Amino acid sequence: MKLYYFSEMPHHEFPDEEGEKYPSLRLELPNRFFSPQKAAANYQRYLTEYEFADQAGFDGLMINEHHSTPSCVNVGVNMTAAILARTTKRGKLLLLGNILPIEDNPVRTAEQIAMADLISGGRVLSGFVRGIGIETWWANTNPVHNRERFEECHDLILKCWTEPGPFRWEGRHYHFRHVNPWCLPLQKPHPPIWIPGSASPETAVWAGRRGYTYVPFLVPFDIARELFDFYRQGAAEAGRAVTADNLGFLICAVTADTKAKAVEAGRHFVWRMGPTLRGPAEYFAPVGMRSRAGAQFALKTRPRSLAQMSYEELLAGHFIIAGTPDEVAERFAYVQRELGVGHLLLEAQESRMDHPTTMRSIELMGAKVIPALATV
Amino acid sequence: MRPHEETISVGGIDVHAWIGGQGDPLLVLHGAGGNRGWTRWVQQVSEHFTVWAPTHPGFGRSGDADWMEGIDDLARFYLWFIDAAGLGRPHVLGHSIGGWTAAEMAAMSPPSIGRLVLVAPVGLKPETGEILDVFYYPPPQLLDLTVHDPKTIPEWDELFGRKPTPPELEIATRNREMAARLTWKPYMHNPRLARFLPRVTNPTLIVWGREDRIVPVECGEQYRRLLPHATLTVREKCGHLPPIEQPDAFARLVLDFLPAPLPAAPGHARS
Repeated sequence: MKLYYFSEMPHHEFPDEEGEKYPSLRLELPNRFFSPQKAAANYQRYLTEYEFADQAGFDGLMINEHHSTPSCVNVGVNMTAAILARTTKRGKLLLLGNILPIEDNPVRTAEQIAMADLISGGRVLSGFVRGIGIETWWANTNPVHNRERFEECHDLILKCWTEPGPFRWEGRHYHFRHVNPWCLPLQKPHPPIWIPGSASPETAVWAGRRGYTYVPFLVPFDIARELFDFYRQGAAEAGRAVTADNLGFLICAVTADTKAKAVEAGRHFVWRMGPTLRGPAEYFAPVGMRSRAGAQFALKTRPRSLAQMSYEELLAGHFIIAGTPDEVAERFAYVQRELGVGHLLLEAQESRMDHPTTMRSIELMGAKVIPALATV
Repeated sequence: MRPHEETISVGGIDVHAWIGGQGDPLLVLHGAGGNRGWTRWVQQVSEHFTVWAPTHPGFGRSGDADWMEGIDDLARFYLWFIDAAGLGRPHVLGHSIGGWTAAEMAAMSPPSIGRLVLVAPVGLKPETGEILDVFYYPPPQLLDLTVHDPKTIPEWDELFGRKPTPPELEIATRNREMAARLTWKPYMHNPRLARFLPRVTNPTLIVWGREDRIVPVECGEQYRRLLPHATLTVREKCGHLPPIEQPDAFARLVLDFLPAPLPAAPGHARS
């Protein structure tokens, strides 16, 4: 099983009591709480941690993108990919990912991913996401068009990568008369495509049909199994075999020299489960963004929201894994046995988890956990 | 004619409609909240006009129209509806997005309609204020923002006083989705509409609630300035739903504005 290091690059440097005054930290917390000085230092720190994770032996570095939120100030997945493409040498660069429905120019997206792939020597894993509603508000893209735009944007990017230009694209949402990108991926026919999921059965089926790697985020095991079944259903429709390499899972994880230290550090993940997901449903899933099936499945996905769970419950449910290297290696192996995944994505820094703690966790993962999992 | 429901097929879409009353046809176009049916003001107006109250495509029990992109599509569709239903040259009354639709129809084809009643229509960008982002609020909170004082609303209990059933919730979601499809961007307005409104020579009554927290009253002033033959009436202690909040006064305003029907001569069908 391959391990991936991930940080959302949070900017949790404001008083929590200020954040509580607003209906949500996303969209509504005024950006006067954003500190350019602290953010400038944070970016250096977070990139250093990514680079160290590469050196420590992680199989890949996952990067994501959000907007209008202190929970994630990585606002350009392709920008970060381009940096890490130069400053890292080994690990895959897992972009998870470009938010397709809010893209107005898929040709530019295709070029930027291709450029990161070229600079990195073909290490890009290109994730495509539908985004949460927050990104729809940020971009002011009609949520009713979310899935249509996701699929059409995907189709155009794939065509950019796989069919010779120039060609014309006249779709429903995208219109380009002269498509002929002079920047194509190093990997052929194109970088592997990854798709995350947490609620939409349609997305799982869609990914399965195409043989993309599918990764549920922070859901209970039984929900992950159900989503994997939808994935297998799609794969079967297309006559594709499903292996562990097609399936991944995302959790939060930290290790330290002692269990006590790790458990203490793991508390930082509670912030991303609760305060950063607080807010009206309309912010996170504006009208029309989810199909009826997706909406019903979403209710089932989290009968109790992550925000309602105590730290102990989050640990018990494997949403967070925190322990000594031996303990987390054992838990990771358990996740692998339970779900049969080939990729485990670790959200490994959060909130105010400090640099030394993060670096030590990375170091121990590299020295002890990754070797222990070599045969898992 | 007793009020009844019909389905009228236009352009391949089955349009659900309430129809009833007597007299010249009055086409009533509902707002984003959906078709509320035969409410008190409609009953009063239908004693003098034949009310045609269709449910917009994509709303309520009307057929889907996933291909529509904006209110201009809906306006073009209703000009077609007028032909398909054989309404001749109806008066058109529209509320909120229905008012915007009515204004677009009039700008597209002034001779196709008689008089125009615009009730708190969206469609124009306010010069100083903002149209409330109705999709940003949970429905119960939005309802609070929509009306001035529930206690003064005669049909409150009937329309809003009980928990919606699952089918009603499904329709409410469908209504919101279609409203989003039609109005998301530019939000609730057409930047070019102001250029076309001076073409609308139809006599127009604009009605607004002074306490409208959804669409600022200044938009009423804009409509009045841009429409050559328009008057603006602002109701005090009234929010975004004048027909529901003040049904009797609203019906009276409409009846005073629309031309009195000619008395029907015995043996002669009124044209």
